[in-house]
Amino acid sequence: MHSDQFAMSLDLINRHYQEPNRNRYESKYFWEELYPLIGASGFRSIEIPYEPVWQFGGRSGVPMNRYCINTKYENTDNYRAALAKGDVDRVVGVTFDSNLFMRNANLDFYFGATGHFAGEALAHAADLNAEYFAISPSAYYGRIAHYHPDLEDRLGAFTERVVALVEGLAVKAKATSVALVLRNEYWSVFRGEHILALLDRLPAGVKLDVDTAHLTIAGIDPAAFITAHRDRIGCVHLTDTAFVDDAATWKTPNPEFPAHRATQVFRDPGTGEVDVPAIVSLLNQLGYAGPVVCSARQTRDPFRALLRTRALLNHLQN
Amino acid sequence: MPNIRYANMCHWKSIPYRKIDNFREFYYEDKTNTAYYSDWDTILKYQAALGFDGIEIAPWDLADILPLFGSPENFTAFAKDRGVEVIGMFHGAHASHQADHFDEAVRAGREAVETIVKFGGSYMNTCPTQNYYGSGPLTREEVQQCARVMNEIGRYATDYGVKIGLHNEFFCAINLPNHRELIESTDPRYVHYCLDTAQVAIMGEDLLTFYRDYRDRISTFHLKDTASERQPDSVRYAQDPEITDDGTRWFWEPGLGTLDLAGLYHLLKEDQFKGWMSIEYDGSPDLLASMALTRYHLDTVLRPIYD
Repeated sequence: MHSDQFAMSLDLINRHYQEPNRNRYESKYFWEELYPLIGASGFRSIEIPYEPVWQFGGRSGVPMNRYCINTKYENTDNYRAALAKGDVDRVVGVTFDSNLFMRNANLDFYFGATGHFAGEALAHAADLNAEYFAISPSAYYGRIAHYHPDLEDRLGAFTERVVALVEGLAVKAKATSVALVLRNEYWSVFRGEHILALLDRLPAGVKLDVDTAHLTIAGIDPAAFITAHRDRIGCVHLTDTAFVDDAATWKTPNPEFPAHRATQVFRDPGTGEVDVPAIVSLLNQLGYAGPVVCSARQTRDPFRALLRTRALLNHLQN
Repeated sequence: MPNIRYANMCHWKSIPYRKIDNFREFYYEDKTNTAYYSDWDTILKYQAALGFDGIEIAPWDLADILPLFGSPENFTAFAKDRGVEVIGMFHGAHASHQADHFDEAVRAGREAVETIVKFGGSYMNTCPTQNYYGSGPLTREEVQQCARVMNEIGRYATDYGVKIGLHNEFFCAINLPNHRELIESTDPRYVHYCLDTAQVAIMGEDLLTFYRDYRDRISTFHLKDTASERQPDSVRYAQDPEITDDGTRWFWEPGLGTLDLAGLYHLLKEDQFKGWMSIEYDGSPDLLASMALTRYHLDTVLRPIYD
């Protein structure tokens, strides 16, 4: 695996949390200044976290959904041309989570909105010629439990609805060249090994997203997991962490921000406890040829994050 | 108690923590100023230190605030402990001009009023309907329909001790041709006006003339400056009017634009206006710096005119 095959997720930009200069991220110019810097950092491909929220309220400069792309670029071809000006050749994948829609006690609203916007996001991934569409199979466990305190009693019914939703997406994905993959997140209803039982109920074309930090926090060795499930892997997220969940943070409503003690759950690649070089080496040994995406969500300085990640990759054997 | 009390219209984006007890430890994880913008405890202390002892919350904050604090009452108590009170919440009356949306617009408005009551607030500054793009120009009947919704929500709010104040954006479907028509079509007993100084000026109203014409309707303010008065239709009616592609800012801190805010303060003194004045910093790259600059301008230029 050559180091220029690694993609960079646009989740390195802190889009949702307060900090000085955050507001710049809502304007188109910020992103168009960013793409050449991603290219200059040696990343030729990006991942887009699909976020419906930007299509409500005239903030279409944030390129995270189909509406925004069509508003600012008319179509995905023009957007990809804008990326190419910055030496970014492709959008390798699109991710989607449903936390935005877990905001009240109405599960019909949650599944209805999730199904609608996930379908839209999948179609957007196809328009972008992306390799994969990675969906989080549930909102944060704790966010669901906040609005549905009886979640444990209703897990069976909840799971049935998730299966139906993902099966519907799988049918749509099959008609495209986009692979549907399930994100494995430590804060999910389907955390850790639980993702496997869900995957077993889905069509064979649905694959796993391996996220090294999430697995580690959930108490699973990512190398062992990759080895055991290598034929089911649809994409890999190289993420890092030094977080130990010793206070059931995964059950809280905002699990990226542990309520009992402020800490960065994620570290930029190479700055935490995950042995990223060993994971990359293992992927090489196994002959894995699918997408590998770097995700840097720690520092609020995205340019530092880009170069930190590139510095790490430069030390890997090409 | 001063006649004018100052609040901050909340444009803080998601604040992930209530209070960081391990501040030094958290700081060292990244050695940047992330720690200084991550908890409500610190944010509210900034407000209190700079003399903004009210906060007007935004509806888009609720999805984060409620799981974090458990209830509106808990947030209000937490803020009060730090010297800040919740004065109210902004509300967008989506599609209120559509006759077939009347029940839903009223229901959403009433729900927002009830939320404000839980927070202990007494103002609901209300954008009368959505953006011009996609819905304008409105017919006379649609403007009247919008007024009917405002009256209905206003009547309900009044019963709960909440004042709704029309708050027009420069890009709203209610715009220069029908802005005054809407105000005059609403019942002054139930519907008031929140004067956003920059928004009305960008829309094309002369700030001081508008104040003089509607001084009896004004319940509160969103005080901010602009250097972009009287924008043309092509800007106001555009698809993405608020956040510009090139980073052009519509809104500036008081004193950094071209509005005659000193003239406004002379009129406030003339009227002996009493109440809350929310300062708004939408578009600022640094809300803490904006608060500090605003406090300096208030104390050295505007407040001396009135006080």
